[in-house]
Amino acid sequence: MGSQRPDFAEFYREVKDECLFAVVVSVGDRDTAQDLVAEAFARAWASWPAVSRHPAPAAWVVRTALNAGVSRWRRRRREVAVADLALVADRPAAGGAAGGSVDPRIMAALMRLPARQRQVVALRLFLDLDTERTAQALGIAPGTVQAHLGRAMAALRDDLVPVWQEENQS
Amino acid sequence: MNDDELIMALREQRGTVTMTTPVEQIISRGRAVRARRRVPGAAAALGAAAAVAVSVALPPGHPAAGHPAASHSAASHSAASYSAAGHPASGPAVQLAAWTVTRRADGSIQVTFREATDPAGLQRTLRADGVPVSVTFTGHQNPACHPYPVSGSQAEPSPGQPFGGPMGSVVPRDFFRNPKQSYTTPYALVINPSALPSGAGLQIWTSGTPGAADNFQLNMSLVQASPQCTGS
Repeated sequence: MGSQRPDFAEFYREVKDECLFAVVVSVGDRDTAQDLVAEAFARAWASWPAVSRHPAPAAWVVRTALNAGVSRWRRRRREVAVADLALVADRPAAGGAAGGSVDPRIMAALMRLPARQRQVVALRLFLDLDTERTAQALGIAPGTVQAHLGRAMAALRDDLVPVWQEENQS
Repeated sequence: MNDDELIMALREQRGTVTMTTPVEQIISRGRAVRARRRVPGAAAALGAAAAVAVSVALPPGHPAAGHPAASHSAASHSAASYSAAGHPASGPAVQLAAWTVTRRADGSIQVTFREATDPAGLQRTLRADGVPVSVTFTGHQNPACHPYPVSGSQAEPSPGQPFGGPMGSVVPRDFFRNPKQSYTTPYALVINPSALPSGAGLQIWTSGTPGAADNFQLNMSLVQASPQCTGS
């Protein structure tokens, strides 16, 4: 394998964790995210000559993983219930036994965002894509990215800042 | 707190999750994806492939101590279907993991289904990982298994719903149907063997028509552990 695509393994090592994190905060479940990201990386390997020339291959992986998640949801015709925020916070898969743990309060706050806002946050803040590339990856207008990000930041601030301030006071 | 501080706090979370899938497993799966693109209908053929081999990544009964996770997987060797599709037999061999069993650091067992093949291998692997289980992919339950008596709670799962009663502790994750359809996006469930009630085991079986993706379900229930049913 190495002789054919020597740089795929390096690419995988460099971005796998940030891709996983971006998908975790988008789908809210670590194990599901790992399956989706693994599948997306496999597809990236299968199309590596093209994907390696993509301006943002990590974004390609995340987008492919999210698309696979949507396909899964459509097949199941139901979504994993995340309405119960306590359940989200307690859900071990949100962090996970083997792969570390996302702060449950941050995870719960992210899960309260609409799915598209979570995706924008994942790509803009966690993958460090600029607005243009985020827009391309999600197939939406750059202005829409900015609008989603603005709303998401406002909601996260309202959600998290009081908690953190309370913590600091105590 | 301004936006920059909030963003910094959010970004600090980036290092909290780690992708544990080995790159070799990704590439193996990538080969299967690529081969499937080259061979129209190969995915469908794989389900009915006559030649099914078991590829065990680690020896059975692997010790979990000291290892954050270990995986076993089953592979469908599609060389036969590859040739049958008119492609040269000298083409790359295709290996698809039909299922993967991973012991997690907390002692639970994750089963990822891509294809309902090699039930004996799955049963053997799960039993080696300490799960008293019967696995059948014949469309019927194991006649040697008897339901585990549960009073006042739900012994069998409702698709998409959290399990109730002891089953909810043993399988704390949502359980998904139609594993055949999960070929490209595998379905996973987590089994917590330590939560099994005394004298209980698990039965995993298919219903519907094996090979017919739209009429095919994977089911699970608590059963009375016995040598004939769960091996112990």
